[in-house]
Amino acid sequence: MKKILMAVASTVLACGIGVAAVGCGGADGDITVVNRTAGSGTRDAFLEIIGITDEELTPDAAEAQETQNVITTVSGNEKAIGYISLGSLNDTVKAVNVGGHAPTAEAISGGDYAIARPFNVVYEKDSTNAILNDFLAFIFSAEGQTIVEDNGYVKVEENGEAFASTLTEGGSIRVSGSTSVAPLMSELAPAYEEAVKEQKDLDVTVTVEQGGSSVGISDVRGGKSVLGMVSRELTEDEKSEFGNSAIARDGIAIIVNKQNPCTNLTVEQIKNIYTGEVKNWSDVGVTFEE
Amino acid sequence: MAQITTSGENVLRARAKIDVKELVMKIVFIIAAVIFILAVAFICIFIFVQAFPAFREIGLIKFLFGTKWFPTVEEPKFGILPMIVGSCYVTAGALVIGVPIGFLTAVFMARYCPKPVYKVMKPVTNILAGIPSIIYGYFGLMVVVPFVRETFGGDGMSILTASFILGIMILPTIISISENSIRAVPKSYFEGAVALGATKERAVFLTEVPAAKSGIATSIILGLGRVIGETMAVVMICGNQARLPDEITDGVRTLTANIVLELGYAEGLHRNALIATAAVLFVFILIITLLVSLIRRKAR
Repeated sequence: MKKILMAVASTVLACGIGVAAVGCGGADGDITVVNRTAGSGTRDAFLEIIGITDEELTPDAAEAQETQNVITTVSGNEKAIGYISLGSLNDTVKAVNVGGHAPTAEAISGGDYAIARPFNVVYEKDSTNAILNDFLAFIFSAEGQTIVEDNGYVKVEENGEAFASTLTEGGSIRVSGSTSVAPLMSELAPAYEEAVKEQKDLDVTVTVEQGGSSVGISDVRGGKSVLGMVSRELTEDEKSEFGNSAIARDGIAIIVNKQNPCTNLTVEQIKNIYTGEVKNWSDVGVTFEE
Repeated sequence: MAQITTSGENVLRARAKIDVKELVMKIVFIIAAVIFILAVAFICIFIFVQAFPAFREIGLIKFLFGTKWFPTVEEPKFGILPMIVGSCYVTAGALVIGVPIGFLTAVFMARYCPKPVYKVMKPVTNILAGIPSIIYGYFGLMVVVPFVRETFGGDGMSILTASFILGIMILPTIISISENSIRAVPKSYFEGAVALGATKERAVFLTEVPAAKSGIATSIILGLGRVIGETMAVVMICGNQARLPDEITDGVRTLTANIVLELGYAEGLHRNALIATAAVLFVFILIITLLVSLIRRKAR
């Protein structure tokens, strides 16, 4: 028994020493790259815009399940970098300029801020669903586009007309897809319900469910939803398969910790960070004060 | 003769009453058992039916031993070896941390602990068991991750961090089952050892602990089962990189994390591949359950 105890004790000790020895590897300033999981529209859009494929991504990139996890991770780690939808940006993290341009609505609609993408919706082609068509009309109306703007996104319809509902009876529709579009959709849905109630005194329910862009596509294809949210450019196949339109444009904010002195990165630098070619903040000209 | 017949009829009538009651209860019990068995059977069938297309299209060997996991690229690659290895590393790490602490605490609580201390420790163990795993995960992310990053380097989200949190999570399992099994050892073992001149430590560690070893082994294996199946805490603190780790401070992705991370986004073969990952996990758990019953049988 004594022998076993000794063995256990020495194993624990050896492990401890091993851990300590390995631990000396991480040099100061090493970048912690935070990525989203496969299937996320933000990830697809981000990787496409900076021009790398899944296989070129650095294997060291930590993968966060949701936008909120990216923010939590980056806000807790001085050396971390991540990307989130501009509309989800809050003051626990810092958004850096890309190529000298801050992620603002003007820079995005003017095309100066490079990392931007459309918020698309897809639906069955020539759908006769009255609520769907009415809801789409609302999204592109002056009211709908104001909501888009108020939530920090860029509107796609500058001169939208006032919304006038054409519904004759109430009902419900299901909207599902991208977790990036969902926050905006969750603002649009109740506003639409209210507008219909006011104008026609009808009860409509728009249920918004999150699941990722690819789920939005497959839900519409399978008839589970009438409207799918997709937070990336649609492929040619998808464009011909579905009716589609962009309801807003969104910048993807590159976020770093508030302690990080970095204020500007080029698309090239971001690309190098995400491929793992650049591993240290000093290689992109950022030095941390000790 | 007539009297006997009447009393016999009475008995028969009474028995008939009981029989009806018994029959009803029998049916109730059968229904309960059937529902339970059906639930297990349906889960098994569901997982393996849904997983089958993945095994067929990807190939079992390629699936189990492939080191590349790129589910959404043009030519998707579904290799879950990194996740299997990740689960194994994290489990081993959790056991290295959890077993010595848990075992020694159990011995202390069963044989050394003064009553007032025990009155505090027992409820604390129970509380530890009742804390939801997301709380462990959040604690890990906010406290352990920065600590590991600053002390050992790396991202902080690593095998080490996950092992540490999971090691704490399995303590209640190990402590309570080990403690019970040590307490169940007949007093005479201890008394006999002391009578023969052994010190208290020798009596406890060399006679009582070996007598309780099947219970202790069971506690460890049940803890192991909890670690392998744990999802929420792990996904927050292990980094989730689907690659083979080189160092203990590297992030990994476990089988459970792989499923929960991507299932919401997955469709088609990707979805099947994730359910196939669940099937692999299922087989792991099955093996562990078998081990427990083997140990129990041997002890008997």
